[in-house]
Amino acid sequence: MYIYDKFDHTITRERVAEFSQQVARRLTGELSEDQFRPLRLMNGLYLQLHAYMLRVAIPYGTLSSKQVRKLADIAKKYDRDYGHFTTRQNIQYNWIKLEQVPEILAELASVEMHANQTSGNCIRNVTADQFAGVAGDELEDPRIISEIIRQWSTFHPEFSFLPRKFKFAVTGAAKDRAAIQFHDIGIQVVKNDAGETGYAVYVGGGMGRTPVVAPLIKPFVARTELLSYLEACLRVYNLHGRRDNMYKARIKILVRDLGPAEYARQVEEMWPLTRAAGVDIEPAEEARIRAFFAPPPYEKIAEPVASFVDARAKTRAFAQWVQTNVHTHKVAGYGAVTISLKPIGGIPGDASSAQMHAIADLADTYSLGEVRVTHVQNLVLPNVKQADLFAVWQRLGEIGFAEANIGLVTDIIACPGLDYCSLANARSIPVAQQLSERFADLDRQHIIGPLQIKISGCINACGHHHAGHIGILGVDKAGQEFYQITLGGAGDETASIGTLLGPGFAGEDIVGAVDKVVNTYLELRQAPSETFIEAYRRVGATPFKESLYGRR
Amino acid sequence: MAQAKSQNKILTGNRLRNGETVYYTAAGVWSPYVAEAKVATTPEEADALAKIGAAAYAANLVIDVNVIDVTPGGAANPAHIREVIRATGPTVRADLNKPVTPPQR
Ligand code: HEM
Ligand code: SF4
Repeated sequence: MYIYDKFDHTITRERVAEFSQQVARRLTGELSEDQFRPLRLMNGLYLQLHAYMLRVAIPYGTLSSKQVRKLADIAKKYDRDYGHFTTRQNIQYNWIKLEQVPEILAELASVEMHANQTSGNCIRNVTADQFAGVAGDELEDPRIISEIIRQWSTFHPEFSFLPRKFKFAVTGAAKDRAAIQFHDIGIQVVKNDAGETGYAVYVGGGMGRTPVVAPLIKPFVARTELLSYLEACLRVYNLHGRRDNMYKARIKILVRDLGPAEYARQVEEMWPLTRAAGVDIEPAEEARIRAFFAPPPYEKIAEPVASFVDARAKTRAFAQWVQTNVHTHKVAGYGAVTISLKPIGGIPGDASSAQMHAIADLADTYSLGEVRVTHVQNLVLPNVKQADLFAVWQRLGEIGFAEANIGLVTDIIACPGLDYCSLANARSIPVAQQLSERFADLDRQHIIGPLQIKISGCINACGHHHAGHIGILGVDKAGQEFYQITLGGAGDETASIGTLLGPGFAGEDIVGAVDKVVNTYLELRQAPSETFIEAYRRVGATPFKESLYGRR
Repeated sequence: MAQAKSQNKILTGNRLRNGETVYYTAAGVWSPYVAEAKVATTPEEADALAKIGAAAYAANLVIDVNVIDVTPGGAANPAHIREVIRATGPTVRADLNKPVTPPQR
């Protein structure tokens, strides 16, 4: 893991001191709300329906056990004993008091954490593949370049007031587990024909009211030249992005309006300037950062691991969990465990302080002290020995997080929606809970196979509904909560945007409608191996429309 | 189900210090309990509430100040579901919900 140097510590502490003063001046009335709002947003502090909400950055979703404990303690001491892990690999606290924010930020700083740039029109937290460093299929650990981007973008003066927010995601593998094409800039680690490692750069993706799958703007940028290239990408946007219209201000609109080829040309024209300015990272500094992500000391373990094979054979529930929740590790004898924060009927992404503590303990005992956050609102223990998997599974069962449903129909993304969010049109969480109950039967879930449901409470699409195999969007219809269904979205390397099926459903009808969609799929799939998204891509929306709305 | 129309309105905001959802009461204070809100029944009374809200905002007591609709059922029954949830808490965490009236002491 990256460890703060003196510089990181200093700027983090200085920011806490600065914001503490601003909070103090707000509380005395020296600053008005209009003056203070942009300042608090720069520090991740929002106002929600019930209280302030603090969004804490988890760079590329990587946490140490010590940090997890601190997040748990903050939940207990300053919030209502829980936190919400989000699709941006952050954590949000829902019941924060303004007067306590300075203390909270100081506590975060003590474990090298902060809430900087988790809001506002700046470069936000960089997200990455949750299996970074442990996935067998990756070319390079995506956290190396993510950390370099984090340092480059932190308090970057030129990019602190962009036309709109700006989000990066990085994948180190061809298999995209970070939804890179739905980000303002998506980066994929690639090799060129000469066998050199570099980066493919996608620009102009996003969700929101105008979902766009990012086009590939540059197939290969050399490792040592990425920052100047990104700086050129941002500078073209900063100059020409639409500041006159909030709904057209994201880079996706600029790239679309210019056309990807013209945007790419302008970036190429800008690039020599940023290169000459010397923003690219020095090889020695690159090597220093790279070293933090060197593989931890793994043991040499021969497969098969007898006790693991045995436990799978004896305990069916464990075998099922291994099938869905344990990802192949690049090192023999290990596995990467996804902890499902989606218990049946639970709130997607929520964890109590006790659960967080238990997970931190598991990380220390079984996973070399590391935890990851996934953009699907789950957690990961990246380095578990196969011989320990049974014990981990049992302990997770005790804290209610051993549901064997990763990638299945109850592994639902849901944004906070109208239960918390001041922008919401409708509730998201109760819909997720009811769907989870409806599809609770694990054997049926396995029969249905891989199926991603994603729910947003408004068109901002924080719940990634555009990228859901089944997407659900909450709308306000004459003061009532209604839900629209989209089908065929995907957030992986085959990225696509879901198609709206038809008129929305009332809250009491949405679960039945989704059930119908699933049953229609089960009837029309050519074989159990044909997944929902494959079947949808083969047959299109029509059979699903007919089953929901009848023939027209 | 169509909501019965009413002109009744109350004044709400979030306390600056701690973000708590609060309502302006007939006693002239801000209460966490929606049923205690002072109800305006005429446009003139609603305007008066709006002025009080603007003053409280300027005095840095509350933020996100709004005059909102309530049903003929009274202050405890905001017209829109958003405000019902604001008044009582997330519908998915009954354990964290607050009552519409102060608990008996
Ligand atoms: C305080 C609550 C929140 C507010 C006010 C908020 C606001 C917004 C807005 C306005 C947008 C649309 C941006 C645009 O189209 O330009 C957006 C997009 C997004 N938000 Fe949120 N959000 C909130 C909570 C969350 C949460 C909890 C998550 C993660 C679960 C999240 C993740 C995202 C993502 C992934 C997008 C879409 C990607 C994009 O196009 O930027 N947000 N949010
Ligand atoms: S999608 Fe809408 S309702 Fe959901 S968190 Fe984002 S802004 Fe709030």
